Amino acid sequence: MDWNAFLAFTRGPLFYASLLIFIAGMVYRLVQVAMLGWDKDQSVARGSKAGGVVKSFLKGILILPFIPWIKGAFQKRPIMYIAGGLFHLGLFTVIFLGTPHMLVWKSLLGFGWPTLALPFVDWLAVAAIIGMLVLIVYRRTDAVLRLLSGPAEYLNWLFVFLPMISGYIMTHHLFFRYEVAYSLHMLSVDWMLIWIPFSRISHFMFYFFSRTIRGVEWGKRAVTP
Amino acid sequence: MQAETAINLFVKKTGGWVASQLEACTRCGLCATACHYYEATGKPEFAPVWKVELLRRAYEQRFTLVGKAKVAMGIEKPISDDDIKEWSVYDFHGCSMCNKCSFVCPMGIDIASLIGAVRAGITAAGEAPAGLVKKTEVQLATGSPNGATREDYAAWFARTSKEMGKELPVDKKGAHTLLLLTNLEIAGFPNNLVAIAKILDAAKIDWTLSLEARDAFNMGTIIGNGKAMKQLADKVYNTAVDLGVKRVLVSCCGHGYTTLRDKLPNVMGKPLPFEVQHIAELMGVLVRDGKIKLQEGYFANGHTYTFHDSCKIQRAGGIMDEPRLVLRQLAGDSFHEMLPNRKEAICCGGGGGLRAIPEAYDIRMAAFGLKVDQIKKAGADTVVTTCSNCRLQFKEGFEHYKLDTQVTGLAELMSQAIVE
Amino acid sequence: MAEKSVYEHLKSEGVSRREFLKACGVLVGAMGMNKLPPVADSNLPPHLARGAKVIYQVAEALENKPRVPVIWLEFQDCAGCSEALTRSQSPTLVDLVLKQISIEYHETLTAAAGHQTEANKQAIMEQYRGQYLLVVEGSIPLGADGAYCTVGGRSAEDILREAADGAAAIIATGNCAAFGGLPMANPNPTDAKGVMDILTDKTVVNIPGCPAIPEATTGTIAHFLVFGTLPELDDLNRPKTFYGVTVHDRCLRRPFYEAGKFAKSFDDEGAKKGWCLYKLGCKGPTTYNACASIKWDGGTSFPIQSGHPCLGCSEPGFWDGGGFYQGQSAPLQRPAIGAVGAATAVGVVVGAGMAAANKAQKKG
Ligand code: HEM
Ligand code: SF4
Ligand code: SF4
Ligand code: SF4
Repeated sequence: MDWNAFLAFTRGPLFYASLLIFIAGMVYRLVQVAMLGWDKDQSVARGSKAGGVVKSFLKGILILPFIPWIKGAFQKRPIMYIAGGLFHLGLFTVIFLGTPHMLVWKSLLGFGWPTLALPFVDWLAVAAIIGMLVLIVYRRTDAVLRLLSGPAEYLNWLFVFLPMISGYIMTHHLFFRYEVAYSLHMLSVDWMLIWIPFSRISHFMFYFFSRTIRGVEWGKRAVTP
Repeated sequence: MQAETAINLFVKKTGGWVASQLEACTRCGLCATACHYYEATGKPEFAPVWKVELLRRAYEQRFTLVGKAKVAMGIEKPISDDDIKEWSVYDFHGCSMCNKCSFVCPMGIDIASLIGAVRAGITAAGEAPAGLVKKTEVQLATGSPNGATREDYAAWFARTSKEMGKELPVDKKGAHTLLLLTNLEIAGFPNNLVAIAKILDAAKIDWTLSLEARDAFNMGTIIGNGKAMKQLADKVYNTAVDLGVKRVLVSCCGHGYTTLRDKLPNVMGKPLPFEVQHIAELMGVLVRDGKIKLQEGYFANGHTYTFHDSCKIQRAGGIMDEPRLVLRQLAGDSFHEMLPNRKEAICCGGGGGLRAIPEAYDIRMAAFGLKVDQIKKAGADTVVTTCSNCRLQFKEGFEHYKLDTQVTGLAELMSQAIVE
Repeated sequence: MAEKSVYEHLKSEGVSRREFLKACGVLVGAMGMNKLPPVADSNLPPHLARGAKVIYQVAEALENKPRVPVIWLEFQDCAGCSEALTRSQSPTLVDLVLKQISIEYHETLTAAAGHQTEANKQAIMEQYRGQYLLVVEGSIPLGADGAYCTVGGRSAEDILREAADGAAAIIATGNCAAFGGLPMANPNPTDAKGVMDILTDKTVVNIPGCPAIPEATTGTIAHFLVFGTLPELDDLNRPKTFYGVTVHDRCLRRPFYEAGKFAKSFDDEGAKKGWCLYKLGCKGPTTYNACASIKWDGGTSFPIQSGHPCLGCSEPGFWDGGGFYQGQSAPLQRPAIGAVGAATAVGVVVGAGMAAANKAQKKG
């Protein structure tokens, strides 16, 4: 098998198609929800809604990921916080601050940014991968998570895990020749792009809805969201 | 058939507000840590997100391509009548609508409101717990869920007037403030009226009671019956408008307060022509603004106090500083905080109508165990609250756990310490 | 004359025994054979015995084996591979393998011209049928019935098939002969093909590159001369000795890659300091070639060392593998605004349709 040709396919037409499906799918999700109708809230506000929204996002971005132990829930489920936090931290670092990935963004967006040294990114990739492994074990063993998880949840995990692990294998030249690993990496990325709009991985988009709603609802009551 | 009715209601309730939050959930299960019923029972079905499951299934299956595909492929089943019965237990026996879970959710989902929608569907399908259905019927017929009638209230007002040696104002047109009481006070602690009357008089507020709008309680809200909720709230609205008051003051009821404040304007489709305030807030404001002077340290008398944040008044009402201001003046250093407190406080376990569901007694008391723990750690012998429902739950709970800890209302404490 | 053994031939050319052994050493090095296992009957410690033993093996072979004639065909090429060979800084090796040993037909190198050469070639092919080595440079155009490239009125395909028929082994040198190279780049106007895609029933050894590294070509030929067999190949039929690792794996700028230090333009501080060229489009990570180890001009330098990113010239389709100066990970195409717009429009239409239907459900 000519892996370089396959790589060209996964980096070229397949990626192109996946990206378009991803865009169409996410727009569909967004519009479908946004156009369902929103009721105007007639009640009198005790506090500032805008302030609530700002606080809601600050809390979501600064407190939950970085100082989670101030939350009671942290003590009860530290695994979810630590493994989940490491996974997201690793993911964001790898896909935004890893050089190869920045170049993807650059070619799509037209501008780039400085990136981090490979060993640093690599350690965070390891952290993310370990985080994911811990999370899947946790999901299989914890009673609440088992109840909440159907095939869709396990597939979500798998389809995010494949790009992570294949990227790591590729970087470290493990098991496969480079272009084989690269092809598998791209194949899994392409598939993930197609899968996201039809799964809960799209929570990253609705996060902005739920956090905003939270800010409005609790800002209105003058309670820090 | 039942399922169909519920699903139709779910569909009606699902606009962008509900849908976007359902979509945001990552099924991380963290919300379980917040719920005192989950903590008390350890049953995964009592995880908050699971209580919303019916709404999510209805939304996905009726509104989204993926949901339809899941049903077609047999990965997920449509909602059945049995599901409705099952979730009636989770959502009514196992949720006090306290909304603590939404503070834990990393996505910030307003879980309790979604549970409210599920409750509405279950109620529409006729599977709400019998105790609640009964109370709703009674309140629609008599005005109060415990059947207290206009005459009962009139007698209470008369009794109190005699006690205080002055005629309490009733249905006084043009008064500034309408005081709205609850049936719980008649039955449990009628002296609250005396206390509040004293406070309002001391602050020289022009207030009135009413025999029309007598009860802030709203079974419609609790059970999730929109029509009943509106019918009951309308009575308050109409009376307030008739009397021409500027403010409706809720004496203690928690959900009654949020119903009038947050829900009623949206039911009416316009802002209310009067303000809705809870006495817990007014007390603090009066003290802070110097309208009322308190004898500092009046209750620094060897007792130790703690303050219970109730879900609707403190967490959802935002009235957290005001009662503390009063209590600190009254009790000084003998006021101890429970942990966690304020918006993160643990629910007493008796809200959301649970006290009216006999089958939920055990779980309600199990959840109260968490509260007992907190009180012990705070080292308090008296719990102060501003919510009538919490107060009765504490009373029952202390009896259940055979404790001699006391529970009392903030207004009753404050009224004793007013410096004339 | 070809019946003489290689050594005899060299002796008649005035090469001394000492020079012959030295040349054998060069060959060993070129074939990358110093990695052969140590030989047991040597008295020397294994690490010293290794190379020496192999040289004698090679010498022995060259002393006894007859010269192998080589026929070198050029089609759609630039003669760059031949140029690279002849101008190589390893004259001993090239002389040895190409000029001295056995080259019989080479359009660029042969002094003779015209029908005479063609006739000579026919004669050699007759005489050494089943023994000669065929080397091909340049791609073969199939379009217009082969009219794009003819020699003596015959199409490249025709000539190739004829020569391949009696060849003992076939080597395609340069990316054009191996994988189609530049002539095959989009839109491939001549319908060019690499040798391996035409001679599908034969083993073709590929020595891709643009040009192929001379030492890789000669080393492979030498292997055949010495052992009469082809070296071990990878799945693109490239000798593993030369194409076993990527340029990236042996690159002298690799530490900068690891450290995340990249030149961002050809004249910035990073470029001056010799930092990694990944961001300037280096294809080293997916390119299997010996540039970084053998280098060019007798080991003087290679493109990356002199500041230019690797183009990936030993890989199939490298002309169409995204921009030469665009980072390797960048997608091959950037979606056109129109396509993104269309995808968005599809999303909006389906989403709005669903929302409208769902709102209707809410009323019903
Ligand atoms: C178009 C999309 C992508 C392209 C072109 C791409 C390409 C690459 C490349 C070239 C590398 C570096 C290999 C090396 O250093 O030799 C890499 C590494 C990696 N990629 Fe991707 N990638 C893409 C998307 C993703 C996504 C979506 C994820 C995660 C879900 C991901 C996870 C990783 C990981 C974990 C590594 C290893 C990093 C390390 O260990 O340092 N990649 N990818
Ligand atoms: S609202 Fe309160 S009682 Fe209900 S699920 Fe959430 S935490 Fe539990
Ligand atoms: S905490 Fe929030 S996101 Fe997590 S399962 Fe509960 S509702 Fe869903
Ligand atoms: S210059 Fe090219 S081959 Fe060298 S380390 Fe950088 S990317 Fe790899």
